[in-house]
Amino acid sequence: MMRFLTSLLLGLTILAAPVYAQSGPLRLELDQGIIEPLPFAVPNFVPDGPAATQYANDISRVVAADLTGTGLFREISSDAFISRVSSFDAPVQFADWKAINAEALVTGAVNVSGKRLTVRFRVWDVFSGQELGNGLQFAGTTDGWRRMAHKVADQVYSRVTGESGYFDSRVAFVSESGPKDQRLKRLAIMDYDGANVQYLTDSAAIVLAPRFSPSGDRLLYTSYETGQPRIYVLDVDRVKRTELKTQDGTMSFSPRFSPDGRSIVYSLIQGGNTDLWKMDLASGQSVRLTNTPAIETAPSYSPDGSQIVFESDRSGTPQLYIMPANGGEATRISFGAGRYGTPVWSPRGDLIAFTKQNKGRFHIGVMRTDGSEERLLTSSFLDEGPTWSPNGRVIMFTRESQGASGRATLYSVDISGRNLRPVRTPDGGSDPSWGPLQK
Amino acid sequence: MDTGTKISAIAHVSLISWALFGGTFRSEPLPMPVQDISVISAEQFVAMTAQSEAPEVPTPTALQQPDAPEEEIPTPEPVEEEPPTPEVSEPNEPEPELEPEPLAPPPEPVEIEQPPALEAPEPEAVVLPTPPGPEAQPRPADKVAPEPVAPPPPEATPDDIESPAVSLDEGAENQQEQQDQTAPEEATDEIVTEAEEAKEYAPRSSPRPPVRPNRPTPPAEPEVAEVEEPTEPEPAPSDEAAINDALAEALGQSGEPSGPPLTAGEKDAMRLAVSKCWNVGSLSTDALQTVVVVGFSLTQDGKVLGGTMQMLDSSGGTAASAKQAYEAARRAILRCGAKGYVLPTDKYDQWRDIEITFNPERMRIK
Repeated sequence: MMRFLTSLLLGLTILAAPVYAQSGPLRLELDQGIIEPLPFAVPNFVPDGPAATQYANDISRVVAADLTGTGLFREISSDAFISRVSSFDAPVQFADWKAINAEALVTGAVNVSGKRLTVRFRVWDVFSGQELGNGLQFAGTTDGWRRMAHKVADQVYSRVTGESGYFDSRVAFVSESGPKDQRLKRLAIMDYDGANVQYLTDSAAIVLAPRFSPSGDRLLYTSYETGQPRIYVLDVDRVKRTELKTQDGTMSFSPRFSPDGRSIVYSLIQGGNTDLWKMDLASGQSVRLTNTPAIETAPSYSPDGSQIVFESDRSGTPQLYIMPANGGEATRISFGAGRYGTPVWSPRGDLIAFTKQNKGRFHIGVMRTDGSEERLLTSSFLDEGPTWSPNGRVIMFTRESQGASGRATLYSVDISGRNLRPVRTPDGGSDPSWGPLQK
Repeated sequence: MDTGTKISAIAHVSLISWALFGGTFRSEPLPMPVQDISVISAEQFVAMTAQSEAPEVPTPTALQQPDAPEEEIPTPEPVEEEPPTPEVSEPNEPEPELEPEPLAPPPEPVEIEQPPALEAPEPEAVVLPTPPGPEAQPRPADKVAPEPVAPPPPEATPDDIESPAVSLDEGAENQQEQQDQTAPEEATDEIVTEAEEAKEYAPRSSPRPPVRPNRPTPPAEPEVAEVEEPTEPEPAPSDEAAINDALAEALGQSGEPSGPPLTAGEKDAMRLAVSKCWNVGSLSTDALQTVVVVGFSLTQDGKVLGGTMQMLDSSGGTAASAKQAYEAARRAILRCGAKGYVLPTDKYDQWRDIEITFNPERMRIK
């Protein structure tokens, strides 16, 4: 009996042995992580001389502000720093940065000779002790120090996130001042972060809806200069404008460039009916794209120029539709509760941002181009007019507060819905249009 | 009176008296067992424990202690934005004729592993293990208070807690570390937009409170730890050790990888330890589509062996997005393993080499 038991046990162990035997490494699968801003440190860039000190400090501050402003990064205060970076070429003491839990480190140096400004920088992955990408140097003029800081921040951003940056870009908008019933509106342009505001028109006439050309050299906008809404093209560098002639006796508005910048699509009111038209800028010839008794407006091209998303009330309430770029049958893509408007195609082509009104509140939202996966990112008394950052990751829009003293301000929000924050402008602002990354 | 009657009378008397005396003697020993100190001491224990629990109130101080390090965390510096100056003038482009020039390779970072600098944080690690213990305890404490019978609850509670406590404990250690060093409150595993906030506001606030109260209670810490460690390893090793011995004897092999496999709880703990540092918040949407498999080796004290980390495989993305995903995974492994992962040393052969698959599917922006 004992013998039988022993042999049985032995048999079992032999059978079981393969289960316990280690075959290769321990394998684990992770599907749950955390979402939090990545801690980084930007010690002040090292100035090559006394003339560069101020620039070095300012540039490193703008780099840090750009990164923090994305909501994806969290700057570690310099108060916590253990080691100082006194030389750009000295080896980095990673242990000191690990100790304060900085995961990314940006070191840099600034040189000024006359009006010429040179910025060198490196990005480090602290915990692996490796450099992300290679050291890079930008040269420019001292006047453009802010742009150079944005360039550096764009590089850091793309090296850590893998997405292209958007800091070295400009935003056109309507600057609003004065009380609500007597508001003065001027066309303005600024850096993406609200710095360097420049006014492009005076406040004599109401201006609406500036729209950047794909290359950022021109602006389309609508003005009531003649008493009727008319579309103008403005050369941004020379501040020179031209009216786009549409058909007589009609009102045209809501224009937007095609991705190649050669034509525009816009709304035209003719005989009390609003339809979409397309104009070739070289020849000035317009072609009708829609022909329904409903109101069609707010057209926006897909990045490849093959399709147009627009707003129409042909079903009874304003909804979003997509049609071929040369007109044709439109497909409705919005089916949620409420009214949809001002659709804008993402520069990445994957999403469409829109304004939604439902139950007395306004939302900025995004959906896939087939209308699926609708997500509302904001909610307030009045949110409208979304515009995409050049990398398709952030949306800027107008938020207006309630009441007679209500004020329009610009806000930005990440497409995840996180990091909602106001954009600082000298006065109120509305109708933003985010331009491309500058060359 | 017959002698027989006398004898009978004497016998009866003696019998009765014996019965009487015997009865009294018996009655005396009976109270003895009744007086068993256990009963009395139990009540006293209740009183004692009740008193001892009263002082627990100050435990909030214990709570604050773990929080203290958090306060030391460098808070994000407020964004300094320069007041935009309106210029009515013509837009004169700066034209910084940017000339990207690649710089020479960086100076070789002289890997002077500064032990002193590293040692500084280590004390934190020693302090940190304590909080996880308390997390498990609060429940037993609550039960003890309402119920007069002191002894049973403690015996029962450890059992209940055992399995969860293990995973929580080991995971919690790392979680604590990470919370101390980063900003845990900002961390989340889901994205809530402004539009959703209003609906979820109430429910979201309620689940959090229970977590904090868990930390304080100090008493049972050592006990739980002691109980857990022996219980888990013991059953497995005893069986498997015997099996291995038998196998070794039977087959005459001695070079087989030794040590029993990790238990599910131990694997969970390791998984949790890494996931607490796996920050996908800064990843591009492309990188969030990419699954990467990262392999690395650990030293016997649970630290990542230098130069062993590599991306073994990736799927679902481009080479660039795989690189970003790998870098985030590498940061997670290195950051949470800076002080060494807590794994059973007797099973070192089982976890010397590790492969982790990082699948961000659930973390994606939907």
